[in-house]
Amino acid sequence: MAAGVLIGLILAGYSLFTARSASTLIVPAEDVALVNQQPVSRADYLALLQTLYGVDLSHATQEQRHKVLDDMIREELFVQRGKELDVASTDPDVRSALVNAVELEIAENAITSQPSEAALRQFFETHQDRYVSEGVMRVRDLVFPASALAELPRDPEALKKAITDAPTLAHLNGRDSGKTKGEEFYFAAKIHLGDELFAAARDLGNGEVSRPIQLSDGIHVLDMEQNRHPVPFGFAAARPQVLSDYRNQAVDKLKLSGESFLRKRANVLIADDLR
Amino acid sequence: MRFLVVLIMASLLVAAVFAADSYAARQLLRADPDALPGDAMLLRFAVRRGRPLFEARCAACHGASGTGDTVNGVPDLTDNDWLYGTGRPAEIEKVIDYGIRSRNPKAWNLAIMPAYARPQPNPGDKNIQPLTPGDIGDVIEFLMRQQGRPADAVAVSRGAALFTGHGGCYDCHSLDAKGDSAIGAPNLSDAVTLYGDGSRGALYMSIAYGRQGVCPAWITRASAASIRELALYVYSISHPGTMQNGS
Repeated sequence: MAAGVLIGLILAGYSLFTARSASTLIVPAEDVALVNQQPVSRADYLALLQTLYGVDLSHATQEQRHKVLDDMIREELFVQRGKELDVASTDPDVRSALVNAVELEIAENAITSQPSEAALRQFFETHQDRYVSEGVMRVRDLVFPASALAELPRDPEALKKAITDAPTLAHLNGRDSGKTKGEEFYFAAKIHLGDELFAAARDLGNGEVSRPIQLSDGIHVLDMEQNRHPVPFGFAAARPQVLSDYRNQAVDKLKLSGESFLRKRANVLIADDLR
Repeated sequence: MRFLVVLIMASLLVAAVFAADSYAARQLLRADPDALPGDAMLLRFAVRRGRPLFEARCAACHGASGTGDTVNGVPDLTDNDWLYGTGRPAEIEKVIDYGIRSRNPKAWNLAIMPAYARPQPNPGDKNIQPLTPGDIGDVIEFLMRQQGRPADAVAVSRGAALFTGHGGCYDCHSLDAKGDSAIGAPNLSDAVTLYGDGSRGALYMSIAYGRQGVCPAWITRASAASIRELALYVYSISHPGTMQNGS
Protein backbone atom coordinates (compact mmCIF):
# COMPACT_ATOMS: atom_id res chain seq x y z
CA MET A 1 0.00 0.00 0.00
CA ALA A 2 2.70 2.43 1.07
CA ALA A 3 4.81 1.47 -1.92
CA GLY A 4 1.86 2.16 -4.22
CA VAL A 5 1.35 5.61 -2.74
CA LEU A 6 5.04 6.33 -3.03
CA ILE A 7 5.15 5.30 -6.69
CA GLY A 8 2.07 7.45 -7.33
CA LEU A 9 3.68 10.45 -5.68
CA ILE A 10 6.91 9.97 -7.63
CA LEU A 11 5.02 9.76 -10.96
CA ALA A 12 2.93 12.80 -10.10
CA GLY A 13 6.04 14.77 -9.09
CA TYR A 14 7.87 13.74 -12.25
CA SER A 15 5.05 14.76 -14.51
CA LEU A 16 4.56 18.02 -12.58
CA PHE A 17 8.16 19.11 -13.04
CA THR A 18 8.69 17.79 -16.55
CA ALA A 19 5.31 18.70 -18.05
CA ARG A 20 5.46 20.41 -21.45
CA SER A 21 2.65 22.24 -23.14
CA ALA A 22 0.11 19.97 -24.79
CA SER A 23 1.45 18.78 -28.09
CA THR A 24 0.21 16.46 -30.76
CA LEU A 25 1.72 14.42 -33.53
CA ILE A 26 -1.48 14.45 -35.55
CA VAL A 27 -2.09 17.24 -38.04
CA PRO A 28 -5.77 18.29 -37.78
CA ALA A 29 -7.77 17.68 -40.92
CA GLU A 30 -8.31 21.41 -41.52
CA ASP A 31 -4.56 22.03 -41.61
CA VAL A 32 -1.72 20.95 -43.85
CA ALA A 33 1.06 21.16 -41.27
CA LEU A 34 1.91 22.01 -37.70
CA VAL A 35 5.00 24.12 -37.21
CA ASN A 36 6.00 24.05 -33.57
CA GLN A 37 2.35 23.13 -32.98
CA GLN A 38 1.16 26.19 -34.90
CA PRO A 39 -1.31 25.15 -37.61
CA VAL A 40 -0.81 25.99 -41.27
CA SER A 41 -4.33 26.26 -42.65
CA ARG A 42 -5.47 24.02 -45.50
CA ALA A 43 -7.75 26.81 -46.80
CA ASP A 44 -4.74 29.13 -47.07
CA TYR A 45 -2.74 26.35 -48.73
CA LEU A 46 -5.41 25.82 -51.38
CA ALA A 47 -5.74 29.56 -51.92
CA LEU A 48 -1.98 29.90 -52.39
CA LEU A 49 -1.90 27.00 -54.85
CA GLN A 50 -4.60 28.75 -56.83
CA THR A 51 -2.85 32.14 -56.64
CA LEU A 52 0.61 30.90 -57.56
CA TYR A 53 -0.20 28.24 -60.13
CA GLY A 54 -3.88 28.70 -60.96
CA VAL A 55 -4.63 25.09 -60.08
CA ASP A 56 -6.73 23.26 -57.52
CA LEU A 57 -5.33 20.50 -55.36
CA SER A 58 -6.24 17.66 -57.67
CA HIS A 59 -4.55 19.31 -60.64
CA ALA A 60 -1.44 20.49 -58.84
CA THR A 61 1.78 18.61 -59.50
CA GLN A 62 3.72 17.07 -56.64
CA GLU A 63 6.37 19.74 -57.13
CA GLN A 64 3.81 22.56 -56.92
CA ARG A 65 2.29 21.08 -53.78
CA HIS A 66 5.67 20.76 -52.10
CA LYS A 67 6.77 24.23 -53.12
CA VAL A 68 3.64 25.88 -51.69
CA LEU A 69 3.80 23.86 -48.49
CA ASP A 70 7.48 24.62 -48.09
CA ASP A 71 6.85 28.35 -48.61
CA MET A 72 4.12 28.33 -45.99
CA ILE A 73 6.27 26.46 -43.47
CA ARG A 74 9.09 28.91 -44.10
CA GLU A 75 6.71 31.83 -43.54
CA GLU A 76 5.41 30.32 -40.30
CA LEU A 77 8.98 29.77 -39.05
CA PHE A 78 9.88 33.37 -39.78
CA VAL A 79 6.68 34.66 -38.16
CA GLN A 80 7.47 32.66 -35.04
CA ARG A 81 11.03 33.96 -35.04
CA GLY A 82 9.68 37.46 -35.54
CA LYS A 83 7.57 37.07 -32.42
CA GLU A 84 10.62 35.87 -30.48
CA LEU A 85 12.59 38.88 -31.68
CA ASP A 86 9.66 41.17 -30.95
CA VAL A 87 9.94 42.84 -34.34
CA ALA A 88 6.70 44.70 -33.64
CA SER A 89 8.63 46.95 -31.29
CA THR A 90 10.79 48.26 -34.13
CA ASP A 91 9.15 47.62 -37.50
CA PRO A 92 6.44 50.19 -38.37
CA ASP A 93 4.85 47.88 -40.97
CA VAL A 94 4.44 45.09 -38.43
CA ARG A 95 3.04 47.55 -35.90
CA SER A 96 0.58 48.89 -38.42
CA ALA A 97 -0.49 45.37 -39.44
CA LEU A 98 -1.01 44.45 -35.78
CA VAL A 99 -3.11 47.55 -35.15
CA ASN A 100 -5.25 46.75 -38.19
CA ALA A 101 -5.63 43.12 -37.16
CA VAL A 102 -6.71 44.03 -33.62
CA GLU A 103 -9.16 46.62 -34.96
CA LEU A 104 -10.59 43.98 -37.27
CA GLU A 105 -10.91 41.52 -34.43
CA ILE A 106 -12.75 44.15 -32.39
CA ALA A 107 -15.02 45.03 -35.32
CA GLU A 108 -15.93 41.46 -36.23
CA ASN A 109 -18.95 41.30 -33.97
CA ALA A 110 -20.51 44.28 -35.66
CA ILE A 111 -19.80 42.99 -39.16
CA THR A 112 -21.09 39.46 -38.65
CA SER A 113 -24.20 40.34 -36.69
CA GLN A 114 -27.40 41.12 -38.54
CA PRO A 115 -29.24 44.08 -37.00
CA SER A 116 -33.00 43.85 -36.61
CA GLU A 117 -35.27 45.70 -39.02
CA ALA A 118 -36.50 47.81 -36.09
CA ALA A 119 -32.95 48.88 -35.26
CA LEU A 120 -32.27 49.78 -38.89
CA ARG A 121 -35.49 51.70 -39.18
CA GLN A 122 -34.72 53.64 -36.04
CA PHE A 123 -31.25 54.46 -37.35
CA PHE A 124 -32.81 55.60 -40.63
CA GLU A 125 -35.28 57.84 -38.85
CA THR A 126 -32.58 59.36 -36.65
CA HIS A 127 -30.27 60.10 -39.60
CA GLN A 128 -32.86 60.80 -42.28
CA ASP A 129 -30.94 63.83 -43.56
CA ARG A 130 -28.28 61.45 -44.94
CA TYR A 131 -30.72 59.61 -47.15
CA VAL A 132 -31.82 62.14 -49.73
CA SER A 133 -31.39 62.31 -53.46
CA GLU A 134 -29.04 64.86 -54.99
CA GLY A 135 -30.95 67.90 -56.26
CA VAL A 136 -30.81 68.71 -59.98
CA MET A 137 -31.12 72.08 -61.67
CA ARG A 138 -30.99 73.49 -65.19
CA VAL A 139 -30.28 77.19 -64.82
CA ARG A 140 -29.00 80.00 -67.04
CA ASP A 141 -26.73 82.55 -65.44
CA LEU A 142 -26.96 85.85 -67.28
CA VAL A 143 -24.41 88.54 -66.54
CA PHE A 144 -24.73 92.25 -67.21
CA PRO A 145 -22.32 95.15 -66.78
CA ALA A 146 -22.75 97.10 -63.56
CA SER A 147 -24.05 100.03 -65.59
CA ALA A 148 -27.14 98.01 -66.58
CA LEU A 149 -28.41 97.81 -63.00
CA ALA A 150 -30.61 100.85 -63.33
CA GLU A 151 -32.17 99.56 -66.53
CA LEU A 152 -32.96 96.06 -65.29
CA PRO A 153 -36.65 95.74 -64.38
CA ARG A 154 -37.36 95.09 -60.71
CA ASP A 155 -40.60 93.26 -61.38
CA PRO A 156 -39.82 89.50 -61.78
CA GLU A 157 -42.20 89.05 -64.70
CA ALA A 158 -40.78 92.02 -66.57
CA LEU A 159 -37.25 90.85 -65.79
CA LYS A 160 -38.05 87.38 -67.14
CA LYS A 161 -39.42 88.93 -70.30
CA ALA A 162 -36.34 91.14 -70.68
CA ILE A 163 -33.82 88.35 -70.40
CA THR A 164 -35.66 85.98 -72.71
CA ASP A 165 -36.02 88.61 -75.41
CA ALA A 166 -32.80 88.58 -77.48
CA PRO A 167 -32.88 92.24 -78.62
CA THR A 168 -33.50 93.48 -75.04
CA LEU A 169 -30.72 91.25 -73.76
CA ALA A 170 -28.38 92.66 -76.38
CA HIS A 171 -29.43 96.19 -75.57
CA LEU A 172 -28.55 95.61 -71.90
CA ASN A 173 -25.21 94.02 -72.92
CA GLY A 174 -26.30 90.85 -71.19
CA ARG A 175 -24.81 87.44 -71.98
CA ASP A 176 -24.87 83.89 -70.69
CA SER A 177 -21.92 83.52 -68.34
CA GLY A 178 -21.47 79.89 -69.49
CA LYS A 179 -20.91 78.81 -65.92
CA THR A 180 -23.58 76.14 -66.13
CA LYS A 181 -24.33 73.70 -68.92
CA GLY A 182 -27.50 71.64 -69.10
CA GLU A 183 -28.80 69.72 -66.10
CA GLU A 184 -26.43 69.71 -63.17
CA PHE A 185 -26.46 68.13 -59.74
CA TYR A 186 -26.62 70.65 -56.94
CA PHE A 187 -23.02 70.07 -55.87
CA ALA A 188 -21.79 70.73 -59.42
CA ALA A 189 -24.00 73.82 -59.82
CA LYS A 190 -22.66 75.13 -56.52
CA ILE A 191 -19.08 74.73 -57.73
CA HIS A 192 -19.85 76.37 -61.06
CA LEU A 193 -22.02 79.25 -59.80
CA GLY A 194 -20.30 79.94 -56.51
CA ASP A 195 -21.94 79.98 -53.09
CA GLU A 196 -23.90 83.22 -53.42
CA LEU A 197 -25.47 82.53 -56.81
CA PHE A 198 -26.17 78.89 -55.90
CA ALA A 199 -27.95 79.96 -52.72
CA ALA A 200 -30.20 82.21 -54.79
CA ALA A 201 -30.72 79.55 -57.47
CA ARG A 202 -31.67 76.80 -55.04
CA ASP A 203 -34.78 78.65 -53.90
CA LEU A 204 -36.08 79.38 -57.40
CA GLY A 205 -39.00 77.44 -58.80
CA ASN A 206 -39.28 76.22 -62.38
CA GLY A 207 -39.46 79.21 -64.77
CA GLU A 208 -38.61 81.79 -62.10
CA VAL A 209 -35.84 84.38 -62.31
CA SER A 210 -33.74 85.73 -59.48
CA ARG A 211 -33.47 89.37 -58.49
CA PRO A 212 -30.38 91.09 -59.96
CA ILE A 213 -27.38 90.03 -57.87
CA GLN A 214 -24.35 92.28 -57.88
CA LEU A 215 -20.99 90.50 -57.85
CA SER A 216 -17.49 91.71 -58.64
CA ASP A 217 -17.79 90.68 -62.31
CA GLY A 218 -21.16 92.34 -62.93
CA ILE A 219 -24.87 91.94 -62.31
CA HIS A 220 -26.15 88.36 -62.43
CA VAL A 221 -29.69 87.22 -63.11
CA LEU A 222 -30.50 83.53 -62.79
CA ASP A 223 -33.12 82.02 -65.06
CA MET A 224 -34.25 78.72 -63.60
CA GLU A 225 -35.51 76.35 -66.27
CA GLN A 226 -35.93 73.35 -64.02
CA ASN A 227 -35.22 72.78 -60.35
CA ARG A 228 -35.69 69.36 -58.74
CA HIS A 229 -35.04 69.66 -55.03
CA PRO A 230 -33.44 66.80 -53.07
CA VAL A 231 -36.07 64.24 -52.10
CA PRO A 232 -35.79 62.04 -49.00
CA PHE A 233 -35.49 58.36 -49.86
CA GLY A 234 -37.96 55.92 -48.40
CA PHE A 235 -36.61 53.28 -46.03
CA ALA A 236 -36.71 50.54 -48.67
CA ALA A 237 -34.65 52.55 -51.15
CA ALA A 238 -32.17 53.62 -48.51
CA ARG A 239 -31.90 50.29 -46.68
CA PRO A 240 -28.63 49.02 -48.22
CA GLN A 241 -26.93 52.30 -47.32
CA VAL A 242 -28.61 52.37 -43.91
CA LEU A 243 -27.26 48.88 -43.17
CA SER A 244 -23.78 49.92 -44.23
CA ASP A 245 -23.88 53.11 -42.14
CA TYR A 246 -25.35 51.26 -39.17
CA ARG A 247 -22.53 48.72 -39.28
CA ASN A 248 -19.88 51.41 -39.69
CA GLN A 249 -21.23 53.21 -36.65
CA ALA A 250 -21.31 49.97 -34.66
CA VAL A 251 -17.71 49.24 -35.71
CA ASP A 252 -16.61 52.72 -34.62
CA LYS A 253 -18.35 52.28 -31.28
CA LEU A 254 -16.73 48.88 -30.74
CA LYS A 255 -13.31 50.26 -31.63
CA LEU A 256 -13.75 53.07 -29.12
CA SER A 257 -14.87 50.74 -26.37
CA GLY A 258 -12.06 48.31 -27.21
CA GLU A 259 -9.54 51.12 -26.97
CA SER A 260 -11.08 52.32 -23.74
CA PHE A 261 -10.81 48.79 -22.29
CA LEU A 262 -7.14 48.53 -23.33
CA ARG A 263 -6.37 51.90 -21.80
CA LYS A 264 -8.11 51.00 -18.57
CA ARG A 265 -6.16 47.81 -18.04
CA ALA A 266 -2.84 49.27 -19.20
CA ASN A 267 -0.19 50.76 -17.00
CA VAL A 268 0.87 53.84 -18.95
CA LEU A 269 3.60 56.05 -17.52
CA ILE A 270 4.17 59.40 -19.19
CA ALA A 271 7.41 61.35 -19.02
CA ASP A 272 7.40 64.29 -16.61
CA ASP A 273 7.87 66.90 -19.32
CA LEU A 274 4.89 65.66 -21.34
CA ARG A 275 2.36 65.29 -18.56
CA MET B 1 -27.71 -8.50 -17.45
CA ARG B 2 -29.90 -8.09 -20.52
CA PHE B 3 -30.16 -4.37 -19.81
CA LEU B 4 -26.39 -4.16 -19.66
CA VAL B 5 -26.04 -5.86 -23.05
CA VAL B 6 -28.55 -3.44 -24.61
CA LEU B 7 -26.74 -0.52 -23.04
CA ILE B 8 -23.38 -1.71 -24.39
CA MET B 9 -24.84 -2.32 -27.83
CA ALA B 10 -26.46 1.13 -27.87
CA SER B 11 -23.21 2.75 -26.75
CA LEU B 12 -21.30 0.89 -29.47
CA LEU B 13 -23.86 2.02 -32.05
CA VAL B 14 -23.58 5.65 -30.95
CA ALA B 15 -19.79 5.36 -30.98
CA ALA B 16 -19.89 3.82 -34.47
CA VAL B 17 -22.11 6.62 -35.79
CA PHE B 18 -19.90 9.22 -34.16
CA ALA B 19 -16.77 7.58 -35.56
CA ALA B 20 -18.27 7.39 -39.04
CA ASP B 21 -19.27 11.06 -38.89
CA SER B 22 -15.88 12.01 -37.58
CA TYR B 23 -14.18 10.02 -40.35
CA ALA B 24 -16.39 11.62 -43.00
CA ALA B 25 -15.69 15.09 -41.56
CA ARG B 26 -11.94 14.44 -41.78
CA GLN B 27 -12.29 13.14 -45.32
CA LEU B 28 -14.31 16.18 -46.21
CA LEU B 29 -11.66 18.56 -44.93
CA ARG B 30 -8.77 16.70 -46.53
CA ALA B 31 -10.42 16.48 -49.95
CA ASP B 32 -9.92 18.98 -52.74
CA PRO B 33 -13.11 21.06 -52.43
CA ASP B 34 -13.50 21.27 -56.19
CA ALA B 35 -13.45 17.48 -56.45
CA LEU B 36 -16.15 17.00 -53.83
CA PRO B 37 -19.17 17.38 -56.14
CA GLY B 38 -17.95 14.14 -57.70
CA ASP B 39 -18.06 12.27 -54.39
CA ALA B 40 -21.74 11.58 -53.81
CA MET B 41 -21.28 10.22 -50.29
CA LEU B 42 -19.23 13.14 -48.99
CA LEU B 43 -21.39 15.66 -50.81
CA ARG B 44 -24.54 14.27 -49.20
CA PHE B 45 -22.84 14.28 -45.81
CA ALA B 46 -21.74 17.91 -46.24
CA VAL B 47 -25.06 19.14 -47.58
CA ARG B 48 -26.96 17.48 -44.72
CA ARG B 49 -24.76 19.29 -42.19
CA GLY B 50 -24.51 22.50 -44.21
CA ARG B 51 -28.23 23.18 -44.42
CA PRO B 52 -28.76 24.05 -40.71
CA LEU B 53 -25.59 26.13 -40.77
CA PHE B 54 -26.95 28.05 -43.74
CA GLU B 55 -30.23 28.61 -41.93
CA ALA B 56 -28.40 29.87 -38.85
CA ARG B 57 -25.79 32.08 -40.49
CA CYS B 58 -26.77 32.98 -44.05
CA ALA B 59 -30.56 32.87 -44.30
CA ALA B 60 -30.97 36.21 -42.50
CA CYS B 61 -29.72 37.93 -45.67
CA HIS B 62 -29.94 35.34 -48.45
CA GLY B 63 -33.32 33.97 -47.36
CA ALA B 64 -34.10 30.43 -46.24
CA SER B 65 -34.14 29.21 -49.83
CA GLY B 66 -31.01 31.17 -50.76
CA THR B 67 -32.76 33.14 -53.47
CA GLY B 68 -31.48 36.48 -52.16
CA ASP B 69 -33.19 39.83 -52.19
CA THR B 70 -32.96 42.37 -54.99
CA VAL B 71 -34.29 45.15 -52.76
CA ASN B 72 -31.19 44.93 -50.62
CA GLY B 73 -28.76 43.66 -53.24
CA VAL B 74 -28.34 40.20 -51.75
CA PRO B 75 -27.35 37.77 -54.51
CA ASP B 76 -29.48 34.78 -55.48
CA LEU B 77 -27.37 31.72 -54.66
CA THR B 78 -29.60 29.32 -56.55
CA ASP B 79 -29.27 30.68 -60.08
CA ASN B 80 -25.67 29.60 -60.78
CA ASP B 81 -24.90 33.18 -61.82
CA TRP B 82 -21.79 34.14 -59.87
CA LEU B 83 -20.76 37.62 -58.92
CA TYR B 84 -17.40 36.42 -57.58
CA GLY B 85 -15.63 33.55 -59.30
CA THR B 86 -17.33 30.86 -61.30
CA GLY B 87 -19.14 28.93 -58.59
CA ARG B 88 -16.46 26.34 -57.83
CA PRO B 89 -16.76 25.04 -54.25
CA ALA B 90 -13.28 26.43 -53.43
CA GLU B 91 -14.38 29.89 -54.58
CA ILE B 92 -17.61 29.71 -52.57
CA GLU B 93 -15.56 28.61 -49.58
CA LYS B 94 -13.23 31.57 -49.98
CA VAL B 95 -16.17 34.00 -49.91
CA ILE B 96 -17.46 32.35 -46.73
CA ASP B 97 -13.99 32.33 -45.18
CA TYR B 98 -13.03 35.93 -45.81
CA GLY B 99 -16.22 37.65 -46.93
CA ILE B 100 -16.79 40.54 -49.30
CA ARG B 101 -15.72 44.01 -48.18
CA SER B 102 -15.71 42.53 -44.69
CA ARG B 103 -12.54 44.43 -43.70
CA ASN B 104 -10.71 41.11 -43.55
CA PRO B 105 -7.42 41.61 -45.40
CA LYS B 106 -8.12 38.54 -47.53
CA ALA B 107 -11.68 39.54 -48.40
CA TRP B 108 -12.83 40.35 -51.92
CA ASN B 109 -12.64 44.10 -51.73
CA LEU B 110 -11.07 45.31 -54.93
CA ALA B 111 -13.98 47.36 -56.18
CA ILE B 112 -17.07 49.31 -55.20
CA MET B 113 -19.77 50.80 -57.39
CA PRO B 114 -19.08 54.55 -57.29
CA ALA B 115 -21.86 57.05 -56.53
CA TYR B 116 -21.74 59.18 -59.67
CA ALA B 117 -24.24 61.73 -58.36
CA ARG B 118 -22.01 62.61 -55.42
CA PRO B 119 -19.13 65.09 -55.43
CA GLN B 120 -16.66 62.29 -54.71
CA PRO B 121 -18.03 59.13 -56.33
CA ASN B 122 -15.41 56.82 -54.82
CA PRO B 123 -13.49 58.19 -51.84
CA GLY B 124 -10.87 55.51 -52.46
CA ASP B 125 -10.18 56.59 -56.04
CA LYS B 126 -9.91 60.30 -56.68
CA ASN B 127 -9.63 59.72 -60.46
CA ILE B 128 -13.32 58.84 -60.74
CA GLN B 129 -15.27 62.00 -61.53
CA PRO B 130 -19.01 62.59 -61.06
CA LEU B 131 -21.35 62.37 -64.05
CA THR B 132 -24.13 64.80 -64.91
CA PRO B 133 -27.78 63.67 -64.69
CA GLY B 134 -27.82 63.61 -68.50
CA ASP B 135 -24.70 61.44 -68.61
CA ILE B 136 -26.30 58.95 -66.23
CA GLY B 137 -29.39 58.84 -68.42
CA ASP B 138 -27.21 58.12 -71.46
CA VAL B 139 -25.37 55.29 -69.72
CA ILE B 140 -28.73 53.79 -68.74
CA GLU B 141 -29.84 53.85 -72.38
CA PHE B 142 -26.59 52.14 -73.38
CA LEU B 143 -27.21 49.41 -70.80
CA MET B 144 -30.79 48.98 -72.02
CA ARG B 145 -29.44 48.39 -75.52
CA GLN B 146 -26.83 45.94 -74.21
CA GLN B 147 -29.68 43.95 -72.64
CA GLY B 148 -31.58 43.96 -75.92
CA ARG B 149 -34.29 46.27 -74.63
CA PRO B 150 -35.71 49.32 -76.44
CA ALA B 151 -33.50 52.38 -76.04
CA ASP B 152 -32.99 55.87 -77.46
CA ALA B 153 -30.41 55.39 -80.22
CA VAL B 154 -28.76 58.81 -79.89
CA ALA B 155 -28.46 58.45 -76.12
CA VAL B 156 -27.09 54.92 -76.60
CA SER B 157 -24.13 56.19 -78.60
CA ARG B 158 -23.42 58.93 -76.05
CA GLY B 159 -23.79 56.35 -73.27
CA ALA B 160 -21.42 53.94 -75.01
CA ALA B 161 -18.79 56.68 -75.22
CA LEU B 162 -19.22 57.41 -71.54
CA PHE B 163 -19.19 53.74 -70.57
CA THR B 164 -15.96 53.09 -72.42
CA GLY B 165 -14.53 56.54 -71.82
CA HIS B 166 -14.43 59.06 -69.03
CA GLY B 167 -17.23 57.40 -67.02
CA GLY B 168 -14.71 54.63 -66.40
CA CYS B 169 -17.45 51.95 -66.21
CA TYR B 170 -15.50 49.62 -68.52
CA ASP B 171 -12.72 49.45 -65.99
CA CYS B 172 -14.76 47.08 -63.81
CA HIS B 173 -17.66 45.97 -66.01
CA SER B 174 -15.44 45.43 -69.10
CA LEU B 175 -15.92 47.04 -72.50
CA ASP B 176 -18.89 44.82 -73.44
CA ALA B 177 -20.59 45.34 -70.03
CA LYS B 178 -20.37 41.62 -69.33
CA GLY B 179 -18.72 42.27 -65.97
CA ASP B 180 -15.70 40.72 -64.30
CA SER B 181 -16.15 37.98 -61.74
CA ALA B 182 -12.54 38.41 -60.60
CA ILE B 183 -13.56 41.62 -58.84
CA GLY B 184 -17.29 41.08 -58.37
CA ALA B 185 -18.40 43.47 -61.11
CA PRO B 186 -21.81 42.26 -62.30
CA ASN B 187 -22.65 41.42 -65.88
CA LEU B 188 -24.84 44.35 -66.97
CA SER B 189 -25.87 42.84 -70.27
CA ASP B 190 -27.96 39.96 -68.95
CA ALA B 191 -31.35 39.77 -67.28
CA VAL B 192 -29.96 39.02 -63.81
CA THR B 193 -30.21 42.03 -61.52
CA LEU B 194 -28.55 42.40 -58.17
CA TYR B 195 -30.33 45.58 -57.06
CA GLY B 196 -33.89 46.43 -58.01
CA ASP B 197 -36.01 45.27 -60.89
CA GLY B 198 -33.75 46.24 -63.78
CA SER B 199 -35.85 49.30 -64.60
CA ARG B 200 -34.34 52.64 -65.58
CA GLY B 201 -35.17 53.95 -62.09
CA ALA B 202 -33.34 51.08 -60.40
CA LEU B 203 -30.31 51.54 -62.66
CA TYR B 204 -30.34 55.26 -61.89
CA MET B 205 -30.24 54.53 -58.15
CA SER B 206 -27.23 52.24 -58.58
CA ILE B 207 -25.28 54.59 -60.84
CA ALA B 208 -26.18 57.78 -58.98
CA TYR B 209 -25.80 56.61 -55.39
CA GLY B 210 -23.42 53.65 -55.67
CA ARG B 211 -23.41 50.15 -54.22
CA GLN B 212 -21.08 48.27 -51.94
CA GLY B 213 -22.67 45.17 -50.46
CA VAL B 214 -20.98 43.33 -47.63
CA CYS B 215 -20.73 39.65 -46.77
CA PRO B 216 -19.10 38.91 -43.42
CA ALA B 217 -15.98 36.78 -43.02
CA TRP B 218 -16.70 33.61 -41.07
CA ILE B 219 -13.19 32.22 -40.78
CA THR B 220 -12.81 33.20 -37.15
CA ARG B 221 -16.44 32.50 -36.30
CA ALA B 222 -16.97 29.03 -37.72
CA SER B 223 -14.86 25.90 -37.89
CA ALA B 224 -13.12 24.89 -41.11
CA ALA B 225 -15.48 21.91 -41.30
CA SER B 226 -18.58 24.10 -40.96
CA ILE B 227 -17.34 26.45 -43.66
CA ARG B 228 -16.69 23.58 -46.06
CA GLU B 229 -20.14 22.13 -45.33
CA LEU B 230 -21.71 25.52 -45.92
CA ALA B 231 -19.80 25.96 -49.18
CA LEU B 232 -21.01 22.59 -50.44
CA TYR B 233 -24.55 23.32 -49.36
CA VAL B 234 -24.45 26.57 -51.36
CA TYR B 235 -22.94 24.66 -54.27
CA SER B 236 -25.76 22.11 -54.06
CA ILE B 237 -28.53 24.71 -54.16
CA SER B 238 -26.92 26.38 -57.15
CA HIS B 239 -26.54 23.05 -58.94
CA PRO B 240 -29.85 21.32 -58.17
CA GLY B 241 -29.00 18.38 -60.43
CA THR B 242 -25.89 17.56 -58.46
CA MET B 243 -27.65 15.86 -55.59
CA GLN B 244 -30.11 13.93 -57.74
CA ASN B 245 -27.38 12.71 -60.06
CA GLY B 246 -25.08 11.98 -57.19
CA SER B 247 -22.26 13.28 -59.30
